[in-house]
Amino acid sequence: MKEVVLWSPEEVTGWLMENAVPEYCEPLRGFTGRDLIDLTEEDFKRTPLSRVSSDSGQRLLHMIETLKMAHHMEAHKNGHANGHIRGGGGENGFGGKAKLNGVPNGFKKEMIKIPMPEPERSQYPMEWGKTFLAFIYALSCFVFTTVTISVVHERVPPKEVQPPLPDAFFDRFDRVQWAFSICEINGMILVGLWFVQWLLLKYKSIISRRFFCIVGTLYLYRCITMYVTTLPVPGMHFKCSPKLFGDWESHLRRIMKLIAGGGLSITGSHNMCGDYLYSGHTVILTLTYLFIKECECLADQSFLTEGIIAVLGDSPRRLWWYHWLCWALSMVGMFCILLAHDHYTVDVVVAYYITTRLFWWYHTMANQQVLKEASQTNLLARVWWYKPFQYFEKNVQGIVPRSYHWPLPWPALRRGRPVKYSRLASDT
Amino acid sequence: MNTIETAKLEEHMEGQTNETSNGYSRPTLSVSEENKNGTNKPKGLSNGLRKTAKKYPDYIQISMPAEARNKFPLEWWKTGIAFVYALFNLILTTVMITVVHERVPPKELSPPLPDKFFDYIDRVKWAFSVSEINGMILLGLWICQWLFLRYKSIVGRRFFFIIGTLYLYRCITMYVTTLPVPGMHFQCAPKLNGDSQAKVQRILRLISGGGLSITGSHILCGDFLFSGHTVVLTLVYLFIKEYSPRHFWWYHLICWLMSAAGIICILVAHEHYTVDVIIAYYITTRLFWWYHSMANEKTLKVSSQTNFLSRAWWYPIFYFFEKNVQGSVPCSFSWPISWPPSCFKSSCKKYSRVQKTGEDNEKST
Repeated sequence: MKEVVLWSPEEVTGWLMENAVPEYCEPLRGFTGRDLIDLTEEDFKRTPLSRVSSDSGQRLLHMIETLKMAHHMEAHKNGHANGHIRGGGGENGFGGKAKLNGVPNGFKKEMIKIPMPEPERSQYPMEWGKTFLAFIYALSCFVFTTVTISVVHERVPPKEVQPPLPDAFFDRFDRVQWAFSICEINGMILVGLWFVQWLLLKYKSIISRRFFCIVGTLYLYRCITMYVTTLPVPGMHFKCSPKLFGDWESHLRRIMKLIAGGGLSITGSHNMCGDYLYSGHTVILTLTYLFIKECECLADQSFLTEGIIAVLGDSPRRLWWYHWLCWALSMVGMFCILLAHDHYTVDVVVAYYITTRLFWWYHTMANQQVLKEASQTNLLARVWWYKPFQYFEKNVQGIVPRSYHWPLPWPALRRGRPVKYSRLASDT
Repeated sequence: MNTIETAKLEEHMEGQTNETSNGYSRPTLSVSEENKNGTNKPKGLSNGLRKTAKKYPDYIQISMPAEARNKFPLEWWKTGIAFVYALFNLILTTVMITVVHERVPPKELSPPLPDKFFDYIDRVKWAFSVSEINGMILLGLWICQWLFLRYKSIVGRRFFFIIGTLYLYRCITMYVTTLPVPGMHFQCAPKLNGDSQAKVQRILRLISGGGLSITGSHILCGDFLFSGHTVVLTLVYLFIKEYSPRHFWWYHLICWLMSAAGIICILVAHEHYTVDVIIAYYITTRLFWWYHSMANEKTLKVSSQTNFLSRAWWYPIFYFFEKNVQGSVPCSFSWPISWPPSCFKSSCKKYSRVQKTGEDNEKST
């Protein structure tokens, strides 16, 4: 429908007929849309309208108002919540101001469009591009760390010249040889569990973006602390590879080997020394545990099939045993690092502190809208990574719900559980 | 029909409690009166019981949120507790330094660790005095500034708490792993090997000298990770900047320069490893910003699922200190001590004018 102001007299007449007020066709003959809108009560007091109108034009004026409203709403899609009419008919005695959402009283045929506030975009947009950027950042930090380890290795004083530093834990606990393997196995289990959990998350991209940002930054910090001061080896059992003294090709090969093995001793890739302050193993153990715990689900009933419900229990609240298992894995892993005399105690303490603080800081800022803007009172915004953080998180409105869904479509399930799905299918 | 609907709405509203923000009047009114007043009574017309309105037709009751008490209560006793906490941690640190000193390997056995900064910059002997002098000047400036603050107790409480916690952290990192001396120039006092009395004497000497080498009190080694001097330099600068007017940019700049120069001089003097200074700076700034963000933001003061900042171990202590402080402490200043009115004739005049107006009011009513 055209705008009312642009209506020709024929259209006006047509509208009058449509709305069952043909008595006005004659007096309003020749009225364009604009004239129709300009009708006021005064006009109904004079002839010729006073003759044909029984209620001094109340009903017709009401209809005209509704018409204007309908056009007004159509012209302005975005959230005029009450569809108020501009200027015009608000002052008439029939409660023009408090009109409810577009449904006038006593109208039969007129279709009123009720504008719904259209969500311009999702509250939690996926934005895989940003996640990819974060992944690149984390990857480059990992590579940089590897290069730094390789460089620092050259500067580690030999253990004959610089014996291991006195450590409060080492004084009380003797070395246990297999403990470091336990730590690394725990780490691998935790990373695996976190990966599986991540696959099932609904808002994968947002959560993984955060993971990459945080782990990248932690490894960047680690590069700095490792590089500036080189601690000696924590124990005489260390077998450090020989120094290379400028042989770039071998350096490169070592770096490749370290990356390929994931920096783990268990894969035999990590036989370089010097990367003690602070402990990367502690970072991974702590961080995966924190992420697992935060993304623990209030699992969605509809998502879980009957089989899984049977295993997990009827009311899938918090999977407390899973949470405790991960915590135990993490704690035991950290304890084993020290037991194996593979890191100084201060390395583990500092790593734990920095990891937890950074995680909590980032997530608090991400959860509170008010902290996403820099202001006098928002001191959290003074960190150096605030601008990148804003870039990553500015479109995420509010707290990301911890909801899960199957990552892939399950055609087989349909056959297996016909009752549930067929009910849904019949509705649509 | 419209008016009928409105009347129905009125009845529905009346069924709710008196605290409905829109204060709809009771449905005993005639419909025409309803129409006159319109359905959208403004927010302030609260609980407009018709009876009251009839008695005082021109009175409109606007409900104000009751200002129960002062927004920034002084609560000096809490500041006292914070002071005791800081003092306790300072003493604990001193004891810890004495203990750790016994474990430091002799520099012949354990030479200084390789440090990037030391590789590039050679030692300058007088640099550490510069650093300590800067620290003392900054501390003096901060105390002066603090004396003139209006909300001394609140700011003092925060300072004591933060510095206490930082020194507590320092105790832990110092104790667990002992770093060797950063340079061969160190003259460490001889080890005592169990002589408790001499240890206590050393502790007292260290406390009385404020832990500074310039006073000759700090002859002990081993307190390297992390650097206490950096903590004080950074923290005092942060407090000075936070609690002074924003347009004092020259003042901020000077303090920043002093602080930065002090920190660099620590390294130039080869008195601490670079990692000590970096970690000290990191922990100090993070703790300061964390604490103040929690204190300024109402939503962060309450412990909730989404407020991760409240998961710090010191959150209950923080909450105890800051729960009565409503919002961000304004940067206002006042004379540290109140002058007796007889000293200032002009201010007496001011008071008498106020008194006069007050008396006039009393006379009229």
